[in-house]
Amino acid sequence: MTVDIAFWVAAAAMVISALFVVRSANLVHAVLWLAVTLLGTAVVFALLDAPFLAGVQVLTYVGGVVTLMVFGVMLTQRHDGSVASASNVQSLRGAAAAALLFTLLLVALLRSDLPSSAESLAPDTAELARTLLDEHLIAFEVLSLLLLAALVGAVALARRGDDERGASGLPRARPRARGEAE
Amino acid sequence: MTLENCILLATLLFAIGVYGLLTRRQAVAMLLCVELMLNASNLVFVAFARHAGGPGQILAMFALAITVAEVAVGLAIVLLLYRRHGHTAVDAASEARE
Amino acid sequence: MTTPALLAVIAVCAPAAAALLLVLAPALRRQGAPAAVACIAASLASLGAALALALGRSPGEPAVRHVVPWLQAGSRTIAEVGVHVDGISAAMLVVVTLVALCVQVFSVAYMRGEARRGFGRYFAYHALFLFSMNLLVVAPNLLQLFVGWELVGLASYLLIGFYFAKPSAARAAVKAFWMTKLADMGILVGLVVLFVSTGSFEWTATPEPAVATAVTLLLFLGVMGKSAQFPLHVWLPDAMEGPTPVSALLHAATMVAAGVFLVVRAHPLFELAPTTGDVMLWVGAVTAAFAAGLALVQTDIKKVLAYSTCSQLGYMVAALGAGSAFAGFFHLGTHACFKALLFLAAGSVIHAVHSNELAEMGGLRRRMPLTAVAFGIGVLSLAGVPGLAGFFSKDLILTELEGRAGWVPWALLLLTAFATAFYMGRVFVLAFLGAPSARAGHAHEAGLAMTGPLIVLAVPSAVAGFFGGGLAAYVGASYEPHFGLTPLLASTLALAGIVAAVLVYGRGREVAFADALRRLDRAGAVDRAWKLLYSSALLWLSGVLGWFDRYVIDGLMNATGFATLEAGSAVRVVQTGRVRDYALAVVAGAILLSLWGVLS
Repeated sequence: MTVDIAFWVAAAAMVISALFVVRSANLVHAVLWLAVTLLGTAVVFALLDAPFLAGVQVLTYVGGVVTLMVFGVMLTQRHDGSVASASNVQSLRGAAAAALLFTLLLVALLRSDLPSSAESLAPDTAELARTLLDEHLIAFEVLSLLLLAALVGAVALARRGDDERGASGLPRARPRARGEAE
Repeated sequence: MTLENCILLATLLFAIGVYGLLTRRQAVAMLLCVELMLNASNLVFVAFARHAGGPGQILAMFALAITVAEVAVGLAIVLLLYRRHGHTAVDAASEARE
Repeated sequence: MTTPALLAVIAVCAPAAAALLLVLAPALRRQGAPAAVACIAASLASLGAALALALGRSPGEPAVRHVVPWLQAGSRTIAEVGVHVDGISAAMLVVVTLVALCVQVFSVAYMRGEARRGFGRYFAYHALFLFSMNLLVVAPNLLQLFVGWELVGLASYLLIGFYFAKPSAARAAVKAFWMTKLADMGILVGLVVLFVSTGSFEWTATPEPAVATAVTLLLFLGVMGKSAQFPLHVWLPDAMEGPTPVSALLHAATMVAAGVFLVVRAHPLFELAPTTGDVMLWVGAVTAAFAAGLALVQTDIKKVLAYSTCSQLGYMVAALGAGSAFAGFFHLGTHACFKALLFLAAGSVIHAVHSNELAEMGGLRRRMPLTAVAFGIGVLSLAGVPGLAGFFSKDLILTELEGRAGWVPWALLLLTAFATAFYMGRVFVLAFLGAPSARAGHAHEAGLAMTGPLIVLAVPSAVAGFFGGGLAAYVGASYEPHFGLTPLLASTLALAGIVAAVLVYGRGREVAFADALRRLDRAGAVDRAWKLLYSSALLWLSGVLGWFDRYVIDGLMNATGFATLEAGSAVRVVQTGRVRDYALAVVAGAILLSLWGVLS
């Protein structure tokens, strides 16, 4: 019973904060609302007998991704309100698409016969570790390669070139960006 | 806290993410919405792992790591975009057409 | 590994080691002399092993086989590689290594004028050749034989084109390569057919009669190429561009006989296909007569011997076609001895007068008595004068052919016997008798390195015939010299041919039909036919293929490319370059997918 209450509270918090993420005009606020959603997810993970994943969620998402996002916002938003919000037509279109998708998925959900088990079938952390580093070792290693590639790619993309052409090979339209940053 | 409820929650979050993706104009905001959607899918993985067994948690972990990579590259692109245009409104950036 | 198997392996591997050494140590090869030493030492080891092997075997002993798996597919061994020693391969090994050693020793003197590099290269090729030939001879199955077969083809190509700076030599090498490769396609296809139908490459494979006919005909195509049978013989006269000792070893004694050897080896298979036998009978007889006719009018001493080789190979093939493997094999052995002798003696003459032309020779008997005697023995043996080696083997063949195919092949070969005696007599008269020409006046006998091999080869050329019975017992056949009407007729014709040649050419006269034949030779009818075939049929075919390629295949390609371009510009309007539109498209895709999931 306690678990159910906790779930519903977390779910409500997640949905509300998610709505703020998409509607908030201030990007910094949006990022912080995202952090709330992600924390809520961590709580749900813990309720779903995935304590390790909950921890990872907090550490990487809330600790890493959100921080990164804040940095991204701070580096790119010179003044608030310079970007006009979406037009009504676009807003309507987006809402229609999202609603349609939601309806369809809901129909699919209602029509399918989902398994439900009273006791948890989730692996404990030790088992999870064993599976990850034994059965899925190759995927694990490939993933580390992917992370390395992403790291290198991100550095290559974001690096300022020494000459007029950036490291990306594209000519920079606004050389004054350098002066501002300095 | 049945499986249905979890999936319902995930679907709702996903739909909100889609709505945001289609309406927000700043690149960073779009990235935030993508995070929301990915998070929703992770929720489904973990919920299935709880109720039906299987490698859901492993998948969620992999998805998490891939998300981190995506954010890193995505933010780098945003930075580049900003450097070229002075703002991050994605509508202005249509060089991919050429 | 048993002793015979070990000896056979030594016989194969010694030249291989020498060849490898000369390839891997260019410094040694470029020195020249060390290369000759290595090559001859290897040949000596090979000959020693072959002799020990042959003498250690008693007649009728079962074959010794030592093989290791070669190609394995799963648990199944597709082919083996190793040695198979029986009477035939032992005897053949001795012949091959003996002739090879003689030729190599002879080469040391003959090639002395060559630059050091060329000298070393020459002996490296020789080592490669001997290895390949021995590999072929001891092959336990058709596949290994084919490997050796192709390797000797390579050695032949390299040695014909030894003077590659000379355009005619390079052309001849390429021609030999093409003609034999064309024929070798037959063997390749035959091997595949044999393997598909019987699942093995063994000599003893027994396919269905129809398959056996097909396989043996395909194999025989390869034999025709390698053993220079009409109409694939055209490469052999051109192959005389190579150094004379090479002609002696490869293009007279051993390599060209590989075709005959193949048929002898695969005799169980050929026995299943009487049709192939008939084809061989006719091809052999026609080749023998045709080549002998051309040999009558050649002015180049090596060309005479080359056509003579064709002709004698025709004898062997006809014998094999008549079903007598032993007759063919016997003639192979005696021919190897006396033809190598003739070529080496010719080489000695060429070395002395620096010309291949018979007109430049004459009267050499006084200046070069030893060579004259050796050549004379070769001539008499080849002509089939009673008592000499060629007499026994040739008469055996003629006897075997009695009554076959309406006596026609028999008659052709008998006619050939006369022609053979005539043209060999002609060469002897023109080169060694009569008055010396300007060049021949200064000729003199070379050293022991040249005369030694002549003496060594002259002995078996003279007396090998008397060991026919022994050889037959050794390889498990039976042979009795038999003095019926055919041998009498043949030896009469041989003697008549020699006498006629002496009478005609001894007085410096020409025969009346010579002009006609010479014109035929100059016209090079067969060469022309091939050229026509290559240039018209092949060019026509390539023209058709080219048209097909240009308009159908390229057309398809271009159409595809054009359609892609068009389609690209048609769908280009979809690409707005705006991220949000792409996101919308992705969402639309997701909606469609879930719609499909819901509806299905």
